Amino acid sequence: MSEVNLEKIDDFRWRIPKSYRPGMRAPGVIYADEKLLKDIRQDKAMEQVANVAFLPGIVKASLAMPDIHWGYGFPIGGVAATDIENGGVISPGGVGFDINCGVRLLKTNLQFEDIKNKLKDLACALFSDVPSGVGSKGDIRVSAKEEKEILVKGAKWAVEKGFGTKDDLDCTEEQGAIAGADPAAVSERAYARGKAQSGTLGSGNHFLEVQVIDQLYDRDACDALNLDLGQVTVMIHSGSRGFGYQVCEDYTRSMVHCLAKYGINVPDRQLACAPVNSPEGKAYLGAMKCAANYAWANRQCLMHLTRLAFERIFNLSWQKLGMFLIYDVAHNIAKIEKHIIDGEEKILCVHRKGATRSIPPGHPDLPQKYKKIGQPVIIPGDMGRNSYLLAGREGAAETFYSACHGAGRLKSRTASSRSENADTLLKDLESQGIIVKASGRQTIIEEAPQAYKNVNDVVDVVHNAGLAKRVCRMRPLGVIKG
Amino acid sequence: MENYEVFEHTADIGIRIKGKDLKDLFKNAGLAIFRISSRKQFTKNKNHANISIKISSDNLESLFVDWLNELLSLSSAKGLIFHNIKINKLENNSIEAVAVGSDINNYKVNTEIKAATYHGLEVFLGPGGWQAEVILDV
Repeated sequence: MSEVNLEKIDDFRWRIPKSYRPGMRAPGVIYADEKLLKDIRQDKAMEQVANVAFLPGIVKASLAMPDIHWGYGFPIGGVAATDIENGGVISPGGVGFDINCGVRLLKTNLQFEDIKNKLKDLACALFSDVPSGVGSKGDIRVSAKEEKEILVKGAKWAVEKGFGTKDDLDCTEEQGAIAGADPAAVSERAYARGKAQSGTLGSGNHFLEVQVIDQLYDRDACDALNLDLGQVTVMIHSGSRGFGYQVCEDYTRSMVHCLAKYGINVPDRQLACAPVNSPEGKAYLGAMKCAANYAWANRQCLMHLTRLAFERIFNLSWQKLGMFLIYDVAHNIAKIEKHIIDGEEKILCVHRKGATRSIPPGHPDLPQKYKKIGQPVIIPGDMGRNSYLLAGREGAAETFYSACHGAGRLKSRTASSRSENADTLLKDLESQGIIVKASGRQTIIEEAPQAYKNVNDVVDVVHNAGLAKRVCRMRPLGVIKG
Repeated sequence: MENYEVFEHTADIGIRIKGKDLKDLFKNAGLAIFRISSRKQFTKNKNHANISIKISSDNLESLFVDWLNELLSLSSAKGLIFHNIKINKLENNSIEAVAVGSDINNYKVNTEIKAATYHGLEVFLGPGGWQAEVILDV
């Protein structure tokens, strides 16, 4: 339970004053309404928002999205930008172990009516064709030389192998390959862990979901995206697997030494960091980008396997099924971006730890097709309720163009295990028309809808605070879990 | 009685481990992470692998986290679940040990533990022996 005295800024913004703890270099700002705030107070997330404010070079404030919850180092749902020219640091803990964990959303031209009788077959096909589960190994095998190529080329590597098209890359953040990846900065162990895991979903909260659009909010944006009520979509949530975990671990360990070397004071060693421009900071950034590209290649492969499974069930090519990528976003990443701060352009290192980039209409980093509506912001919910498609708005300038990344956990896995029963849960979900296929029963229990905040409440805050606008909402039909 | 217990953490798993001495603490912690993540179900491959581990760190707490992360990392890279650990030496913030693992395919793995973290980390000598608390990212 957190006793932090918050200052109310408005109905959706709350400040942790800089005076809360000596050593804070900026205030904290939490995006939430009264209802969500009650849950946020239940764990140590707010303390972590304050801890992040200790980072040298932090600009404006340590930010927390409405899906914030207790993590390690950064809170999950945390955003922090540091000014590189002003001693700004980069922290592996501000990205997390699952580097470039993210989501992609595909549309189809299928209607709910077209799939309702094939849903079980489809879920089984996806479960068998898309490798999932802990340490799962993919059918997409790569040589050592190719693995290095993946780290630099990202999703483009997969497209060159025939696992997608150039259009897919246009609809991926950073075109699926962030520049500046340095394979030499990656340890042998990371290579060993990443090998054979390309094209695998992983476990825990990662999933592949067949969904149907059940609510439209912005007709113009839906028209621009060719989306309508009753239309079937597919969402894929995965990351960089063991490769990313190892990169994070290697650099967290080495950056603990940087705290003394650069005279940095942080209240939690998991916030170990180094100046972005230091040799250690540059090396981490080069390695982190490798993991980010690995993750984009991974999600591209997962989408390819998904398209093949649909082709098998519907006997039509994926193009005929209209399975085009809407967008792919990273939600665990640090990026070097230009932002206007107090009227001046600054180059910042923006950490998004459980937060999604949300750039507005007209932004230069948007592909042509989204220049008018803004960046698609994809928000997965839990497996029983909803997921959302939002679009970036100018209001997000105050969060370095960031929005939430999901519903956010409410209950611990242990609490969930005590109160849930896998059989009852599966029956409940089935009665709501949701089929769940999972490698482990424990995952089903830990990922029970009740373990999460209501994504509708979280998205309301993001929309009302002007960080992104609601476009449409989906509900799950078939869920594949690791 | 188990020599470890799980405590509440919203997103991840916290574990509290006990040991009669430091070696015992490190051994119990190492075995606990695999007890939590997996359960033996099959005997598809009877071979056991003995993996030698040697690590040095700046202090005892860092050594504790580094040790757990080395076990997790080796487990993932080599496709092994460790079920026995022998610690040969543990002094001056260094550890030398042998971890015995068997093929991951012999196990039903329920939870993927990504890493041990420094957040909220404690390693101390209490009245009843050594104790540690660590949060695992899952």
